[in-house]
Amino acid sequence: MFDKATLAWTLPWQDDWVTAVTFIGNTRKLAAGNRKGQILLWDLPEKPSGDAPVPVRRLDGHTNEVTRLLSTPDGKYLISASYDHSIRIWDMEAKPAGNEEIILDARTRAEVAKKAGSKAPPPAPGVKVDVQPAERVVALHKEWVLGLSMSRDGATLLSGDDAGEVVLWNRAEAKETRRWRIKGWAFAVAVSPDAQLALVSERFPLVFTPADQRNAVKIWDLTTGQVKHDLSAQFKMYIGSAAFSPDGKQVVIGHAGETERGKLFLIDAETGKKVREYAGHMGGITDVQFSADGKFLLSTGRDTVVRVWNVEDTKQVAELGKSRGGQFKDFLHALALTEDQRWLAAGDMVGQVLVYSA
Amino acid sequence: MNPLCKPVEHINRRAFLKGTLATAAGGAFLNFGSLFNSDSIAAEAKKLGKKCILLWMNGGASQIDTFDMKPGTDNAGPFRPINTKVSGMPVCEYLPKVAQHADKLAVIRSMKTSEPDHPGGIMSMHTGYRPAVNVPYPEIGAMVAKFNGPADSDLPSCVHLGGAGYGGGGGAGFLGPKFQPFSVGRDGRLPSFTTPYLKADSEQRRNDLLRFMEQDAAKESSAEPFEAHRLAKEKAWRLLQAKGVFDASQEWPKYRDLYGDTEFGRGCMMARRLIEAGVAFVEVGQENYDSHADNFTVHKATLSVLDPGWSGLMTDLKDRGLLDDTLIIWMGEVGRTPQINNRVGRDHYINGWTVVLAGGGTKGGMVYGATNANGVGVKDDPVSEGDLFATIFTALGINPRAKHYVGPRPITAAPEKSKVVKEVLA
Repeated sequence: MFDKATLAWTLPWQDDWVTAVTFIGNTRKLAAGNRKGQILLWDLPEKPSGDAPVPVRRLDGHTNEVTRLLSTPDGKYLISASYDHSIRIWDMEAKPAGNEEIILDARTRAEVAKKAGSKAPPPAPGVKVDVQPAERVVALHKEWVLGLSMSRDGATLLSGDDAGEVVLWNRAEAKETRRWRIKGWAFAVAVSPDAQLALVSERFPLVFTPADQRNAVKIWDLTTGQVKHDLSAQFKMYIGSAAFSPDGKQVVIGHAGETERGKLFLIDAETGKKVREYAGHMGGITDVQFSADGKFLLSTGRDTVVRVWNVEDTKQVAELGKSRGGQFKDFLHALALTEDQRWLAAGDMVGQVLVYSA
Repeated sequence: MNPLCKPVEHINRRAFLKGTLATAAGGAFLNFGSLFNSDSIAAEAKKLGKKCILLWMNGGASQIDTFDMKPGTDNAGPFRPINTKVSGMPVCEYLPKVAQHADKLAVIRSMKTSEPDHPGGIMSMHTGYRPAVNVPYPEIGAMVAKFNGPADSDLPSCVHLGGAGYGGGGGAGFLGPKFQPFSVGRDGRLPSFTTPYLKADSEQRRNDLLRFMEQDAAKESSAEPFEAHRLAKEKAWRLLQAKGVFDASQEWPKYRDLYGDTEFGRGCMMARRLIEAGVAFVEVGQENYDSHADNFTVHKATLSVLDPGWSGLMTDLKDRGLLDDTLIIWMGEVGRTPQINNRVGRDHYINGWTVVLAGGGTKGGMVYGATNANGVGVKDDPVSEGDLFATIFTALGINPRAKHYVGPRPITAAPEKSKVVKEVLA
């Protein structure tokens, strides 16, 4: 399936880097967030043909980079985390508050104008989108919210910030049920599908003085609040992404940062032992997740490609996109996969969302 | 050899003594700077007693993420400015404690310098001159040691706690090894090998015996190398007598919260201790600014270390009545590009970046110069490295036109055509 995936559309959004993506429930509705804190929604056509679809809605509220986007399994809510210290919950069935015209290709227009010798880019028309405020602003953090993860039923969330605060909370009331503090920043957080375990990677990003980095990777028992497995000795590196398998038995972590080769590591959640490792990406991994059937791992990296891995034999099944030249040529920030595994999206630093059809 | 000591410790002890030998030897026969014109100036400056602490941001801190923020532009990062008590001087939200001292800061936003890479930048931002093959310019610490350092002290006049990379900022250069900076770790702790392994009275008797024998030998041979060697030993002994100032273990618990529980914070407190003990110049280095990738996470973490360290230093110096006579310089070798690159980083930038002065001899609560709206290029009042050094020397009571002779060639303290930025001086 993935080995035959093709690029369906490139969705332009040149306002800024696209930093987060997700599909809404079990639909083809796609959400993406950017460095400015904007969130756009697209309704992807049923078939991968024709012009790139345009966004239908903009979600207004965040004032700084959107770091994570998650959807509840029923598709009723989108949850976003941001550098603006907030987490916002968006009602996907809410009526719009109004509409506005937005321009998605400002950079292209400016380049065209420059070639034509004109100072001003071609004016509107742009694209008319509905706009919508958040249903709820969740203020559980006082610093950048770097990590956000959700249980299988969508009822429990785990968030982490760069003050080292990790918070377990329920979505319905936005009420915290457990909070603890770690020594480094909470770069990657993942909650198990049954909300019994959490993996949290820690780091203080003083890159030139490794002794100060406070790297740690731990699996926490959420029922007791205690460390179940301390994996720090095994993984003395910057772990920037993590995800539990759909059955909760395994958890995958990705080696991030400008490393020569960022590998993926599969860990047995019960024993804390490394099960397998995957070749990963040149230049470090930025996002990782399991396919809904648990058979594949999908990852994005600083090498500007999406890679798909067979969980069992560790072989790479597919490489989507082409590397633009390694560490000095952009990177893909995030990826999302539909539950039916037919659509895959990746947020691209150059200001676009890449949509693949499998 | 003591089995409990590692061989490297013995080597280091020898290296330590050797370094001190060079210092003393310089006084005897290597000081080719011929300091005729500057001696009276040095005496005059010493009367002022101005001291200097250089907070060296190794790698180059980002001006647009600290003191010259451009919110709302494409070049703005995720950091937000916060207002200070000084109108028109917002600073980064991650320097909240430094912001409380805004009335003490002179922010020069228009640095336009000449060396875009680290080695050249480190040299030029330590000497005021572009690096030259034929002239070993002395770094600022050596200059301050020469002009403002106490004539007779057990402590060195110029101390580096960490500091610049790439081999440092030039050392004593043509001033000769007498003014060579004395370097210890970033936190100011002396190496363990400086702890004598003899009891104090045994050490004293041993040293007295050596002195006696050397004096006797000197009657037979008065050659300078022998004298230099003897002076070096004396200097090392004197430093070891005064080494107590480097032991901050008793004081640190009381000040840990003020300075922040970091190596840099400890270094800042050590700088205050050394200044208080009469050291003329202290450089405290902080790493991690060379953020070609992941600039914002790197800077946010680094600023969280800088903020308490620097603000704690200003508070402590102020409380002790030392700030008016101690110039604090905050700078690195370069600024960082206003544009954000495709590694989420900022690269080196020399066409509009920021240096901050505070305390001794400067006017606080002011901004000098400006960059353009998006941070690219200097809009008003460019300041070169030479101008900066002329200004710094003036603030310290050192005539920037003081001449040293390298052979027949006169070299001024700051470059000849440099201008003093009088607006930032008190």
